[in-house]
Amino acid sequence: MSAVTASGPLSMLSGKPLRGFAAAALLINGLFPALWILFTSLKTEGELTAKPITWLPHAPTLQNYMQAFSDQPLHIFLLNSFVVALLSTMLTLLVSVLAAYALARLDLRYRGLILSAIIAVSTFPLVTLLVPLFEIMRALNLLNTWIALILPYTVLSLPVCTLMLVSFFEGIPRDLENAAMIDGCTRLGALFKVVVPLSAPGVFTAGILAFVNAWDEFLLALSFNSNPLLRTLPVGIQLYQGEFAFPWPVISAALVVGIVPVAILIVIFQERVVSGLTAGGIKG
Amino acid sequence: MTTTSILKATDAQEQRPAAWTRWLDLGDRPLALLLLAPATVLLALIIVYPVCRLAYTSFFNLSLTSGMPAEFVGLDNYRLMFDDPVFWETTWNTVLITLITVPGALVVGLALALMANLPFRTQWPVRLSLLIPWALPLSFAGLIFAWFFHSEYGIVNDVLIRLGFEGIIWFNSPGWAFAAICLTIIWKTSSFMALIILAGLQTIPRSLYEAADVDGAGRLRQFFEITLPLLKPSIVVALIFRTITALQTFDIPYMMTGGGPGTSTSTLAMYIHQNTVSFLDLGYGSALAVVMFALSMCVTTVYLRMIRTKE
Repeated sequence: MSAVTASGPLSMLSGKPLRGFAAAALLINGLFPALWILFTSLKTEGELTAKPITWLPHAPTLQNYMQAFSDQPLHIFLLNSFVVALLSTMLTLLVSVLAAYALARLDLRYRGLILSAIIAVSTFPLVTLLVPLFEIMRALNLLNTWIALILPYTVLSLPVCTLMLVSFFEGIPRDLENAAMIDGCTRLGALFKVVVPLSAPGVFTAGILAFVNAWDEFLLALSFNSNPLLRTLPVGIQLYQGEFAFPWPVISAALVVGIVPVAILIVIFQERVVSGLTAGGIKG
Repeated sequence: MTTTSILKATDAQEQRPAAWTRWLDLGDRPLALLLLAPATVLLALIIVYPVCRLAYTSFFNLSLTSGMPAEFVGLDNYRLMFDDPVFWETTWNTVLITLITVPGALVVGLALALMANLPFRTQWPVRLSLLIPWALPLSFAGLIFAWFFHSEYGIVNDVLIRLGFEGIIWFNSPGWAFAAICLTIIWKTSSFMALIILAGLQTIPRSLYEAADVDGAGRLRQFFEITLPLLKPSIVVALIFRTITALQTFDIPYMMTGGGPGTSTSTLAMYIHQNTVSFLDLGYGSALAVVMFALSMCVTTVYLRMIRTKE
Protein backbone atom coordinates (compact mmCIF):
# COMPACT_ATOMS: atom_id res chain seq x y z
CA MET A 1 0.00 0.00 0.00
CA SER A 2 2.96 2.28 0.53
CA ALA A 3 3.35 2.79 -3.19
CA VAL A 4 0.07 4.68 -3.47
CA THR A 5 0.20 8.24 -2.38
CA ALA A 6 -2.73 9.85 -0.71
CA SER A 7 -4.00 13.22 -1.75
CA GLY A 8 -7.12 15.21 -1.22
CA PRO A 9 -9.14 16.16 1.79
CA LEU A 10 -10.30 12.68 2.69
CA SER A 11 -6.84 11.17 2.55
CA MET A 12 -6.15 11.33 6.29
CA LEU A 13 -9.25 9.25 6.89
CA SER A 14 -8.45 6.86 4.13
CA GLY A 15 -7.99 3.78 6.17
CA LYS A 16 -9.06 0.50 4.66
CA PRO A 17 -12.67 0.73 5.94
CA LEU A 18 -13.27 4.12 4.32
CA ARG A 19 -11.79 2.96 1.04
CA GLY A 20 -13.94 -0.14 1.17
CA PHE A 21 -17.06 1.90 1.79
CA ALA A 22 -16.21 4.35 -0.99
CA ALA A 23 -15.51 1.56 -3.46
CA ALA A 24 -18.82 -0.12 -2.63
CA ALA A 25 -20.76 3.14 -2.94
CA LEU A 26 -19.15 4.00 -6.28
CA LEU A 27 -19.67 0.56 -7.79
CA ILE A 28 -23.27 0.21 -6.60
CA ASN A 29 -24.14 3.70 -7.82
CA GLY A 30 -22.49 3.23 -11.19
CA LEU A 31 -23.16 -0.37 -12.09
CA PHE A 32 -26.22 -1.54 -10.16
CA PRO A 33 -28.89 -0.15 -12.53
CA ALA A 34 -27.32 -1.81 -15.56
CA LEU A 35 -26.77 -5.00 -13.57
CA TRP A 36 -30.39 -5.01 -12.40
CA ILE A 37 -31.60 -4.76 -15.98
CA LEU A 38 -29.31 -7.68 -16.87
CA PHE A 39 -30.86 -9.74 -14.04
CA THR A 40 -34.38 -8.77 -15.14
CA SER A 41 -33.63 -9.78 -18.71
CA LEU A 42 -32.69 -13.29 -17.54
CA LYS A 43 -35.89 -13.88 -15.56
CA THR A 44 -39.06 -15.53 -16.78
CA GLU A 45 -42.33 -13.59 -16.76
CA GLY A 46 -43.48 -15.93 -13.99
CA GLU A 47 -40.50 -15.19 -11.77
CA LEU A 48 -40.86 -11.49 -12.40
CA THR A 49 -44.42 -11.35 -11.08
CA ALA A 50 -43.67 -13.53 -8.06
CA LYS A 51 -43.95 -11.93 -4.65
CA PRO A 52 -41.74 -11.07 -2.86
CA ILE A 53 -39.57 -10.13 -5.81
CA THR A 54 -36.39 -12.12 -6.33
CA TRP A 55 -33.05 -10.40 -6.81
CA LEU A 56 -30.88 -12.92 -8.62
CA PRO A 57 -32.64 -14.88 -11.39
CA HIS A 58 -33.51 -18.39 -10.11
CA ALA A 59 -33.64 -20.09 -13.48
CA PRO A 60 -31.73 -17.85 -15.93
CA THR A 61 -33.12 -18.00 -19.46
CA LEU A 62 -32.20 -16.43 -22.79
CA GLN A 63 -35.81 -16.67 -23.96
CA ASN A 64 -36.31 -12.90 -23.54
CA TYR A 65 -33.43 -12.15 -25.90
CA MET A 66 -34.88 -14.36 -28.61
CA GLN A 67 -38.24 -12.73 -28.11
CA ALA A 68 -36.69 -9.24 -28.24
CA PHE A 69 -35.37 -10.02 -31.71
CA SER A 70 -38.55 -11.74 -32.93
CA ASP A 71 -41.18 -9.34 -31.50
CA GLN A 72 -39.62 -6.27 -33.12
CA PRO A 73 -36.89 -5.83 -35.75
CA LEU A 74 -34.24 -5.20 -33.09
CA HIS A 75 -31.43 -5.96 -35.54
CA ILE A 76 -32.77 -3.18 -37.80
CA PHE A 77 -32.80 -0.74 -34.87
CA LEU A 78 -29.21 -1.73 -34.14
CA LEU A 79 -28.23 -1.29 -37.77
CA ASN A 80 -29.87 2.16 -37.95
CA SER A 81 -28.14 3.26 -34.77
CA PHE A 82 -24.78 1.99 -36.02
CA VAL A 83 -25.04 3.55 -39.46
CA VAL A 84 -26.24 6.92 -38.16
CA ALA A 85 -23.68 7.05 -35.35
CA LEU A 86 -20.78 5.87 -37.50
CA LEU A 87 -21.43 8.12 -40.50
CA SER A 88 -22.07 11.19 -38.37
CA THR A 89 -18.88 10.46 -36.39
CA MET A 90 -16.82 10.24 -39.56
CA LEU A 91 -18.32 13.41 -40.96
CA THR A 92 -17.77 15.21 -37.64
CA LEU A 93 -14.12 14.14 -37.57
CA LEU A 94 -13.42 15.18 -41.15
CA VAL A 95 -15.00 18.62 -40.75
CA SER A 96 -13.55 19.29 -37.31
CA VAL A 97 -10.01 18.21 -38.28
CA LEU A 98 -10.02 20.76 -41.11
CA ALA A 99 -11.48 23.54 -38.96
CA ALA A 100 -9.25 22.77 -35.99
CA TYR A 101 -6.14 22.89 -38.16
CA ALA A 102 -7.06 26.31 -39.49
CA LEU A 103 -7.67 27.53 -35.94
CA ALA A 104 -4.55 25.97 -34.46
CA ARG A 105 -1.99 26.75 -37.14
CA LEU A 106 -3.00 29.28 -39.72
CA ASP A 107 -2.93 32.99 -39.28
CA LEU A 108 -6.57 33.95 -38.78
CA ARG A 109 -7.79 37.47 -38.21
CA TYR A 110 -10.77 36.76 -35.96
CA ARG A 111 -9.45 33.65 -34.22
CA GLY A 112 -10.68 34.66 -30.75
CA LEU A 113 -14.10 35.55 -32.06
CA ILE A 114 -14.42 32.27 -33.96
CA LEU A 115 -13.41 30.27 -30.89
CA SER A 116 -16.01 32.12 -28.78
CA ALA A 117 -18.63 31.42 -31.42
CA ILE A 118 -17.76 27.72 -31.34
CA ILE A 119 -18.10 27.65 -27.54
CA ALA A 120 -21.47 29.41 -27.82
CA VAL A 121 -22.65 26.86 -30.38
CA SER A 122 -21.51 24.00 -28.12
CA THR A 123 -24.12 25.11 -25.58
CA PHE A 124 -26.84 25.42 -28.18
CA PRO A 125 -30.20 23.92 -27.11
CA LEU A 126 -30.91 21.29 -29.74
CA VAL A 127 -34.56 21.12 -28.67
CA THR A 128 -35.27 24.56 -30.13
CA LEU A 129 -34.12 23.33 -33.54
CA LEU A 130 -36.74 20.61 -33.47
CA VAL A 131 -39.43 22.80 -35.03
CA PRO A 132 -37.47 24.37 -37.92
CA LEU A 133 -35.50 21.20 -38.67
CA PHE A 134 -38.74 19.23 -38.72
CA GLU A 135 -40.15 21.80 -41.13
CA ILE A 136 -37.04 21.71 -43.34
CA MET A 137 -36.67 17.92 -43.37
CA ARG A 138 -40.37 17.59 -44.16
CA ALA A 139 -40.11 20.09 -47.03
CA LEU A 140 -37.05 18.28 -48.43
CA ASN A 141 -38.75 14.90 -48.04
CA LEU A 142 -35.98 13.78 -45.70
CA LEU A 143 -38.16 12.57 -42.84
CA ASN A 144 -37.62 8.84 -42.32
CA THR A 145 -34.12 8.81 -43.76
CA TRP A 146 -30.68 8.35 -42.18
CA ILE A 147 -29.60 11.77 -43.48
CA ALA A 148 -32.25 13.52 -41.36
CA LEU A 149 -30.30 12.36 -38.29
CA ILE A 150 -26.73 12.27 -39.60
CA LEU A 151 -26.60 16.02 -40.36
CA PRO A 152 -27.91 17.28 -36.98
CA TYR A 153 -25.77 14.74 -35.06
CA THR A 154 -22.69 15.94 -36.91
CA VAL A 155 -23.41 19.49 -35.85
CA LEU A 156 -24.19 18.33 -32.32
CA SER A 157 -20.62 17.05 -31.79
CA LEU A 158 -18.80 19.44 -34.11
CA PRO A 159 -18.04 22.27 -31.63
CA VAL A 160 -16.71 20.02 -28.88
CA CYS A 161 -14.61 17.91 -31.25
CA THR A 162 -13.17 21.03 -32.90
CA LEU A 163 -12.18 22.56 -29.56
CA MET A 164 -10.57 19.29 -28.48
CA LEU A 165 -8.62 18.94 -31.70
CA VAL A 166 -7.43 22.55 -31.59
CA SER A 167 -5.75 21.88 -28.27
CA PHE A 168 -4.29 18.60 -29.57
CA PHE A 169 -2.90 20.19 -32.72
CA GLU A 170 -1.36 23.00 -30.73
CA GLY A 171 0.61 20.40 -28.79
CA ILE A 172 2.35 19.12 -31.93
CA PRO A 173 5.69 20.79 -32.72
CA ARG A 174 5.54 22.97 -35.83
CA ASP A 175 9.02 21.77 -36.81
CA LEU A 176 7.65 18.42 -37.93
CA GLU A 177 5.25 20.02 -40.38
CA ASN A 178 7.86 22.48 -41.56
CA ALA A 179 10.24 19.62 -42.25
CA ALA A 180 7.58 17.86 -44.28
CA MET A 181 6.88 21.03 -46.21
CA ILE A 182 10.54 21.59 -46.94
CA ASP A 183 10.50 18.08 -48.37
CA GLY A 184 7.88 19.28 -50.80
CA CYS A 185 4.71 18.49 -48.97
CA THR A 186 1.87 21.01 -49.20
CA ARG A 187 0.25 22.29 -46.02
CA LEU A 188 -2.75 20.08 -46.56
CA GLY A 189 -0.44 17.13 -47.22
CA ALA A 190 1.40 17.90 -43.99
CA LEU A 191 -1.92 18.01 -42.13
CA PHE A 192 -2.94 14.53 -43.23
CA LYS A 193 0.50 12.91 -43.31
CA VAL A 194 2.04 14.44 -40.17
CA VAL A 195 -0.40 16.25 -37.90
CA VAL A 196 -3.36 13.86 -37.98
CA PRO A 197 -1.31 10.67 -37.47
CA LEU A 198 0.56 12.32 -34.60
CA SER A 199 -2.66 13.38 -32.91
CA ALA A 200 -4.35 10.04 -33.52
CA PRO A 201 -5.21 9.60 -29.82
CA GLY A 202 -7.00 12.95 -29.81
CA VAL A 203 -8.82 12.28 -33.07
CA PHE A 204 -9.84 8.90 -31.75
CA THR A 205 -11.13 10.30 -28.46
CA ALA A 206 -13.13 12.94 -30.27
CA GLY A 207 -14.55 10.15 -32.41
CA ILE A 208 -15.69 8.11 -29.41
CA LEU A 209 -17.44 11.13 -27.89
CA ALA A 210 -19.20 11.90 -31.17
CA PHE A 211 -20.25 8.26 -31.49
CA VAL A 212 -21.70 8.12 -27.96
CA ASN A 213 -23.52 11.43 -28.50
CA ALA A 214 -25.16 10.10 -31.66
CA TRP A 215 -25.89 6.67 -30.16
CA ASP A 216 -27.71 8.27 -27.21
CA GLU A 217 -29.75 10.96 -28.98
CA PHE A 218 -33.49 10.50 -28.62
CA LEU A 219 -35.64 13.57 -29.36
CA LEU A 220 -34.72 14.14 -33.01
CA ALA A 221 -34.70 10.42 -33.76
CA LEU A 222 -38.15 10.16 -32.21
CA SER A 223 -39.49 13.16 -34.13
CA PHE A 224 -37.95 12.65 -37.56
CA ASN A 225 -38.00 8.89 -38.09
CA SER A 226 -41.34 7.36 -37.16
CA ASN A 227 -41.16 4.53 -39.68
CA PRO A 228 -40.37 1.39 -37.61
CA LEU A 229 -37.73 0.32 -40.11
CA LEU A 230 -35.80 3.58 -39.71
CA ARG A 231 -35.96 3.91 -35.94
CA THR A 232 -32.77 3.99 -33.95
CA LEU A 233 -32.43 1.85 -30.86
CA PRO A 234 -33.62 4.32 -28.17
CA VAL A 235 -36.76 5.07 -30.20
CA GLY A 236 -37.36 1.50 -31.34
CA ILE A 237 -37.37 0.18 -27.79
CA GLN A 238 -40.66 1.97 -27.20
CA LEU A 239 -42.39 -0.33 -29.69
CA TYR A 240 -42.24 -3.24 -27.24
CA GLN A 241 -44.87 -1.65 -25.02
CA GLY A 242 -48.39 -2.64 -25.89
CA GLU A 243 -51.34 -0.49 -24.96
CA PHE A 244 -51.73 -2.22 -21.61
CA ALA A 245 -48.91 -4.72 -21.52
CA PHE A 246 -45.41 -3.72 -20.56
CA PRO A 247 -43.22 -6.78 -21.16
CA TRP A 248 -40.40 -5.80 -18.82
CA PRO A 249 -38.19 -8.90 -19.32
CA VAL A 250 -38.22 -8.44 -23.10
CA ILE A 251 -37.64 -4.68 -22.81
CA SER A 252 -34.76 -5.38 -20.44
CA ALA A 253 -33.22 -7.77 -22.93
CA ALA A 254 -33.47 -5.13 -25.67
CA LEU A 255 -31.90 -2.56 -23.31
CA VAL A 256 -28.99 -4.90 -22.59
CA VAL A 257 -28.46 -5.37 -26.33
CA GLY A 258 -28.37 -1.57 -26.67
CA ILE A 259 -26.01 -1.03 -23.75
CA VAL A 260 -23.41 -3.66 -24.71
CA PRO A 261 -21.83 -1.94 -27.77
CA VAL A 262 -21.22 1.34 -25.95
CA ALA A 263 -20.16 -0.47 -22.78
CA ILE A 264 -17.50 -2.32 -24.79
CA LEU A 265 -16.19 0.96 -26.24
CA ILE A 266 -16.09 2.48 -22.76
CA VAL A 267 -14.36 -0.50 -21.15
CA ILE A 268 -11.63 -0.62 -23.81
CA PHE A 269 -11.00 3.11 -24.10
CA GLN A 270 -11.90 4.32 -20.62
CA GLU A 271 -8.76 6.33 -19.98
CA ARG A 272 -9.00 8.19 -23.27
CA VAL A 273 -12.68 8.91 -22.77
CA VAL A 274 -12.04 10.38 -19.33
CA SER A 275 -9.23 12.59 -20.60
CA GLY A 276 -11.34 13.69 -23.55
CA LEU A 277 -14.37 14.46 -21.42
CA THR A 278 -12.46 16.51 -18.94
CA ALA A 279 -10.30 18.37 -21.47
CA GLY A 280 -13.15 20.70 -22.32
CA GLY A 281 -16.63 20.93 -20.94
CA ILE A 282 -18.88 18.53 -22.77
CA LYS A 283 -22.59 17.97 -22.63
CA GLY A 284 -23.52 15.53 -19.92
CA MET B 1 6.69 7.13 -33.57
CA THR B 2 9.81 9.13 -32.97
CA THR B 3 10.66 12.37 -34.66
CA THR B 4 13.33 10.86 -36.84
CA SER B 5 11.17 8.04 -38.10
CA ILE B 6 8.51 10.56 -39.11
CA LEU B 7 11.02 12.65 -40.94
CA LYS B 8 12.37 9.58 -42.73
CA ALA B 9 8.88 8.52 -43.67
CA THR B 10 8.04 11.92 -45.07
CA ASP B 11 11.43 11.97 -46.83
CA ALA B 12 10.60 8.80 -48.64
CA GLN B 13 7.02 9.59 -49.55
CA GLU B 14 7.06 13.30 -49.98
CA GLN B 15 9.64 14.10 -52.59
CA ARG B 16 6.88 15.79 -54.52
CA PRO B 17 3.44 16.75 -53.30
CA ALA B 18 0.72 14.39 -54.36
CA ALA B 19 -1.31 15.70 -57.23
CA TRP B 20 -4.51 16.02 -55.20
CA THR B 21 -2.90 18.37 -52.71
CA ARG B 22 -0.90 20.45 -55.19
CA TRP B 23 -3.84 22.36 -56.58
CA LEU B 24 -4.73 23.31 -53.02
CA ASP B 25 -1.34 24.84 -52.37
CA LEU B 26 -2.70 28.23 -51.44
CA GLY B 27 -1.47 30.98 -49.19
CA ASP B 28 -2.28 30.69 -45.46
CA ARG B 29 -5.29 33.02 -45.40
CA PRO B 30 -7.20 31.49 -48.34
CA LEU B 31 -6.34 28.00 -47.10
CA ALA B 32 -7.68 28.84 -43.63
CA LEU B 33 -10.95 30.05 -45.11
CA LEU B 34 -11.16 26.94 -47.25
CA LEU B 35 -10.59 24.66 -44.24
CA LEU B 36 -13.24 26.47 -42.20
CA ALA B 37 -15.75 26.36 -45.04
CA PRO B 38 -17.25 22.89 -44.43
CA ALA B 39 -17.86 23.65 -40.74
CA THR B 40 -19.34 27.02 -41.62
CA VAL B 41 -21.66 25.55 -44.23
CA LEU B 42 -22.88 22.87 -41.81
CA LEU B 43 -23.45 25.36 -39.00
CA ALA B 44 -25.24 27.75 -41.34
CA LEU B 45 -27.46 24.97 -42.66
CA ILE B 46 -28.28 23.21 -39.40
CA ILE B 47 -28.16 26.07 -36.88
CA VAL B 48 -28.17 29.60 -38.30
CA TYR B 49 -30.84 29.13 -40.99
CA PRO B 50 -33.14 27.08 -38.70
CA VAL B 51 -32.85 29.69 -35.93
CA CYS B 52 -33.89 32.46 -38.34
CA ARG B 53 -36.65 30.22 -39.64
CA LEU B 54 -37.75 29.58 -36.05
CA ALA B 55 -38.07 33.27 -35.22
CA TYR B 56 -39.88 33.87 -38.53
CA THR B 57 -42.36 31.01 -38.17
CA SER B 58 -43.25 32.07 -34.64
CA PHE B 59 -45.07 35.08 -36.16
CA PHE B 60 -47.19 32.86 -38.40
CA ASN B 61 -50.20 30.68 -37.99
CA LEU B 62 -48.74 27.56 -39.58
CA SER B 63 -50.65 24.39 -38.85
CA LEU B 64 -49.85 21.52 -41.17
CA THR B 65 -53.08 19.70 -40.29
CA SER B 66 -55.31 22.52 -41.58
CA GLY B 67 -53.71 22.48 -45.01
CA MET B 68 -53.96 26.28 -45.07
CA PRO B 69 -50.99 28.38 -46.22
CA ALA B 70 -49.05 30.16 -43.51
CA GLU B 71 -50.76 33.32 -42.36
CA PHE B 72 -48.95 36.22 -40.68
CA VAL B 73 -50.45 36.74 -37.23
CA GLY B 74 -47.90 39.02 -35.58
CA LEU B 75 -47.54 38.33 -31.88
CA ASP B 76 -50.66 36.16 -31.65
CA ASN B 77 -48.73 32.97 -30.89
CA TYR B 78 -46.97 34.71 -28.02
CA ARG B 79 -50.25 36.17 -26.73
CA LEU B 80 -51.78 32.71 -26.88
CA MET B 81 -48.81 31.34 -24.99
CA PHE B 82 -49.15 33.76 -22.09
CA ASP B 83 -52.79 32.72 -21.66
CA ASP B 84 -51.98 29.03 -21.97
CA PRO B 85 -51.93 27.32 -18.55
CA VAL B 86 -50.07 24.30 -19.98
CA PHE B 87 -47.26 26.59 -21.17
CA TRP B 88 -46.89 28.00 -17.67
CA GLU B 89 -47.11 24.56 -16.08
CA THR B 90 -44.52 22.98 -18.35
CA THR B 91 -42.20 25.98 -18.03
CA TRP B 92 -42.52 25.90 -14.25
CA ASN B 93 -41.80 22.15 -14.25
CA THR B 94 -38.70 22.75 -16.38
CA VAL B 95 -37.43 25.48 -14.07
CA LEU B 96 -38.19 23.34 -11.03
CA ILE B 97 -36.37 20.33 -12.51
CA THR B 98 -33.38 22.61 -13.22
CA LEU B 99 -33.41 24.10 -9.72
CA ILE B 100 -33.60 20.66 -8.09
CA THR B 101 -31.44 18.46 -10.28
CA VAL B 102 -28.53 20.83 -10.99
CA PRO B 103 -27.61 21.40 -7.32
CA GLY B 104 -28.57 17.77 -6.61
CA ALA B 105 -26.20 16.44 -9.26
CA LEU B 106 -23.49 18.81 -8.00
CA VAL B 107 -23.72 17.53 -4.41
CA VAL B 108 -23.86 13.86 -5.43
CA GLY B 109 -21.15 14.40 -8.07
CA LEU B 110 -18.87 16.10 -5.53
CA ALA B 111 -19.33 13.19 -3.12
CA LEU B 112 -18.61 10.65 -5.89
CA ALA B 113 -15.53 12.59 -7.00
CA LEU B 114 -14.13 12.82 -3.46
CA MET B 115 -14.62 9.07 -3.05
CA ALA B 116 -13.12 8.29 -6.47
CA ASN B 117 -10.08 10.40 -5.56
CA LEU B 118 -9.13 8.09 -2.70
CA PRO B 119 -5.89 6.16 -3.30
CA PHE B 120 -7.31 2.92 -4.74
CA ARG B 121 -4.82 0.34 -5.90
CA THR B 122 -6.78 -0.42 -9.07
CA GLN B 123 -8.33 2.55 -10.79
CA TRP B 124 -10.34 1.02 -13.61
CA PRO B 125 -13.43 -0.14 -11.65
CA VAL B 126 -13.79 3.37 -10.22
CA ARG B 127 -13.44 4.94 -13.65
CA LEU B 128 -15.96 2.53 -15.14
CA SER B 129 -18.49 3.18 -12.39
CA LEU B 130 -18.44 6.86 -13.36
CA LEU B 131 -18.35 6.30 -17.13
CA ILE B 132 -21.18 3.79 -17.51
CA PRO B 133 -23.94 6.12 -16.22
CA TRP B 134 -22.56 8.89 -18.45
CA ALA B 135 -22.56 6.70 -21.56
CA LEU B 136 -26.00 5.22 -20.92
CA PRO B 137 -28.61 6.91 -23.13
CA LEU B 138 -30.94 9.18 -21.14
CA SER B 139 -33.91 7.33 -22.58
CA PHE B 140 -32.52 4.00 -21.31
CA ALA B 141 -31.98 5.52 -17.86
CA GLY B 142 -35.62 6.64 -17.90
CA LEU B 143 -36.84 3.13 -18.73
CA ILE B 144 -34.54 1.44 -16.23
CA PHE B 145 -35.66 3.72 -13.42
CA ALA B 146 -39.32 3.42 -14.41
CA TRP B 147 -38.80 -0.29 -13.71
CA PHE B 148 -37.01 0.53 -10.41
CA PHE B 149 -39.99 2.61 -9.29
CA HIS B 150 -42.61 0.10 -10.50
CA SER B 151 -45.30 0.01 -7.81
CA GLU B 152 -45.64 -3.80 -7.70
CA TYR B 153 -42.38 -5.35 -8.84
CA GLY B 154 -39.97 -2.44 -8.53
CA ILE B 155 -36.89 -2.74 -6.37
CA VAL B 156 -37.42 0.64 -4.70
CA ASN B 157 -40.73 -0.41 -3.18
CA ASP B 158 -39.24 -3.80 -2.34
CA VAL B 159 -36.53 -2.13 -0.29
CA LEU B 160 -39.02 0.29 1.30
CA ILE B 161 -41.23 -2.60 2.39
CA ARG B 162 -38.26 -4.57 3.72
CA LEU B 163 -37.32 -1.52 5.77
CA GLY B 164 -40.83 -1.45 7.24
CA PHE B 165 -42.32 1.39 5.17
CA GLU B 166 -45.29 1.20 2.86
CA GLY B 167 -44.78 0.88 -0.87
CA ILE B 168 -45.49 4.01 -2.90
CA ILE B 169 -47.49 4.11 -6.11
CA TRP B 170 -44.94 6.42 -7.71
CA PHE B 171 -46.54 7.32 -11.00
CA ASN B 172 -50.10 7.94 -9.81
CA SER B 173 -49.45 11.16 -7.92
CA PRO B 174 -47.84 14.27 -9.41
CA GLY B 175 -45.58 14.76 -6.40
CA TRP B 176 -44.11 11.25 -6.26
CA ALA B 177 -43.82 11.05 -10.04
CA PHE B 178 -41.90 14.34 -10.03
CA ALA B 179 -39.64 13.07 -7.25
CA ALA B 180 -38.90 9.85 -9.15
CA ILE B 181 -38.01 11.84 -12.26
CA CYS B 182 -35.71 14.19 -10.35
CA LEU B 183 -33.94 11.29 -8.62
CA THR B 184 -33.37 9.61 -11.98
CA ILE B 185 -31.99 12.78 -13.55
CA ILE B 186 -29.68 13.34 -10.59
CA TRP B 187 -28.39 9.77 -10.84
CA LYS B 188 -27.84 10.03 -14.58
CA THR B 189 -26.06 13.39 -14.56
CA SER B 190 -24.02 13.25 -11.34
CA SER B 191 -21.41 10.94 -12.88
CA PHE B 192 -20.48 13.53 -15.48
CA MET B 193 -20.18 16.14 -12.72
CA ALA B 194 -18.00 13.72 -10.77
CA LEU B 195 -15.67 13.17 -13.74
CA ILE B 196 -15.17 16.90 -14.24
CA ILE B 197 -14.68 17.55 -10.53
CA LEU B 198 -12.33 14.56 -10.23
CA ALA B 199 -10.14 16.01 -12.98
CA GLY B 200 -10.09 19.27 -11.00
CA LEU B 201 -9.21 17.47 -7.76
CA GLN B 202 -6.24 15.78 -9.39
CA THR B 203 -4.70 19.12 -10.32
CA ILE B 204 -4.60 20.36 -6.72
CA PRO B 205 -0.98 20.03 -5.55
CA ARG B 206 -0.49 17.78 -2.52
CA SER B 207 1.92 20.26 -1.04
CA LEU B 208 -0.99 22.58 -0.19
CA TYR B 209 -2.50 19.94 2.08
CA GLU B 210 0.89 19.14 3.59
CA ALA B 211 1.42 22.80 4.40
CA ALA B 212 -2.05 22.97 5.92
CA ASP B 213 -1.22 19.90 8.01
CA VAL B 214 1.88 21.61 9.32
CA ASP B 215 -0.22 24.64 10.19
CA GLY B 216 -2.58 22.36 12.06
CA ALA B 217 -5.66 22.98 9.91
CA GLY B 218 -8.27 20.24 10.26
CA ARG B 219 -9.62 18.16 7.42
CA LEU B 220 -12.90 20.06 7.26
CA ARG B 221 -11.14 23.39 7.14
CA GLN B 222 -8.81 22.13 4.41
CA PHE B 223 -11.86 21.07 2.40
CA PHE B 224 -13.51 24.47 2.62
CA GLU B 225 -10.36 26.58 2.28
CA ILE B 226 -8.27 24.62 -0.21
CA THR B 227 -10.34 22.06 -2.06
CA LEU B 228 -13.54 23.97 -2.77
CA PRO B 229 -11.94 27.27 -3.86
CA LEU B 230 -9.51 25.49 -6.19
CA LEU B 231 -12.31 23.38 -7.62
CA LYS B 232 -14.40 26.42 -8.42
CA PRO B 233 -13.42 26.74 -12.11
CA SER B 234 -14.18 23.12 -12.96
CA ILE B 235 -17.41 23.23 -10.95
CA VAL B 236 -18.59 26.36 -12.77
CA VAL B 237 -18.02 24.82 -16.22
CA ALA B 238 -19.84 21.63 -15.22
CA LEU B 239 -22.72 23.63 -13.71
CA ILE B 240 -23.28 25.69 -16.83
CA PHE B 241 -23.37 22.69 -19.16
CA ARG B 242 -25.65 20.87 -16.74
CA THR B 243 -28.01 23.88 -16.48
CA ILE B 244 -28.33 24.16 -20.24
CA THR B 245 -29.08 20.46 -20.63
CA ALA B 246 -31.50 20.55 -17.67
CA LEU B 247 -33.52 23.28 -19.41
CA GLN B 248 -33.91 20.86 -22.33
CA THR B 249 -35.08 17.92 -20.18
CA PHE B 250 -37.08 15.57 -22.37
CA ASP B 251 -35.98 11.92 -22.51
CA ILE B 252 -36.33 10.91 -18.88
CA PRO B 253 -39.83 12.27 -18.10
CA TYR B 254 -41.00 11.17 -21.56
CA MET B 255 -39.93 7.61 -20.84
CA MET B 256 -40.95 7.49 -17.16
CA THR B 257 -44.35 9.21 -17.08
CA GLY B 258 -45.04 10.56 -20.56
CA GLY B 259 -45.72 13.83 -18.74
CA GLY B 260 -48.45 12.42 -16.54
CA PRO B 261 -50.49 12.18 -14.51
CA GLY B 262 -52.19 14.80 -16.67
CA THR B 263 -49.47 17.27 -17.64
CA SER B 264 -48.09 17.47 -14.10
CA THR B 265 -44.62 16.18 -15.02
CA SER B 266 -44.48 17.53 -18.56
CA THR B 267 -41.56 19.79 -19.50
CA LEU B 268 -41.29 22.67 -21.95
CA ALA B 269 -39.32 20.45 -24.35
CA MET B 270 -42.10 17.86 -24.21
CA TYR B 271 -44.69 20.54 -24.94
CA ILE B 272 -42.67 21.80 -27.92
CA HIS B 273 -42.37 18.24 -29.22
CA GLN B 274 -46.10 17.64 -28.75
CA ASN B 275 -47.14 20.82 -30.57
CA THR B 276 -44.70 20.23 -33.40
CA VAL B 277 -44.80 16.50 -34.08
CA SER B 278 -48.22 15.47 -32.75
CA PHE B 279 -50.33 18.57 -33.44
CA LEU B 280 -48.19 19.79 -36.40
CA ASP B 281 -48.81 23.32 -35.10
CA LEU B 282 -45.46 24.74 -36.18
CA GLY B 283 -46.30 28.39 -35.46
CA TYR B 284 -47.10 27.79 -31.82
CA GLY B 285 -44.27 25.27 -31.45
CA SER B 286 -41.87 27.90 -32.77
CA ALA B 287 -43.05 30.51 -30.28
CA LEU B 288 -42.50 28.01 -27.44
CA ALA B 289 -39.03 27.19 -28.77
CA VAL B 290 -38.14 30.89 -28.91
CA VAL B 291 -38.81 31.08 -25.17
CA MET B 292 -36.53 28.12 -24.52
CA PHE B 293 -33.88 29.64 -26.79
CA ALA B 294 -34.03 32.87 -24.76
CA LEU B 295 -33.74 30.97 -21.49
CA SER B 296 -30.63 29.09 -22.53
CA MET B 297 -29.04 32.11 -24.22
CA CYS B 298 -29.08 33.84 -20.83
CA VAL B 299 -27.06 30.97 -19.36
CA THR B 300 -24.66 30.88 -22.33
CA THR B 301 -24.04 34.62 -22.07
CA VAL B 302 -23.03 34.23 -18.44
CA TYR B 303 -20.72 31.37 -19.47
CA LEU B 304 -19.00 33.32 -22.25
CA ARG B 305 -18.52 36.31 -19.99
CA MET B 306 -16.84 34.14 -17.40
CA ILE B 307 -14.49 32.59 -19.94
CA ARG B 308 -13.52 36.06 -21.17
CA THR B 309 -12.76 37.32 -17.67
CA LYS B 310 -10.70 34.19 -16.98
CA GLU B 311 -8.50 34.91 -19.95
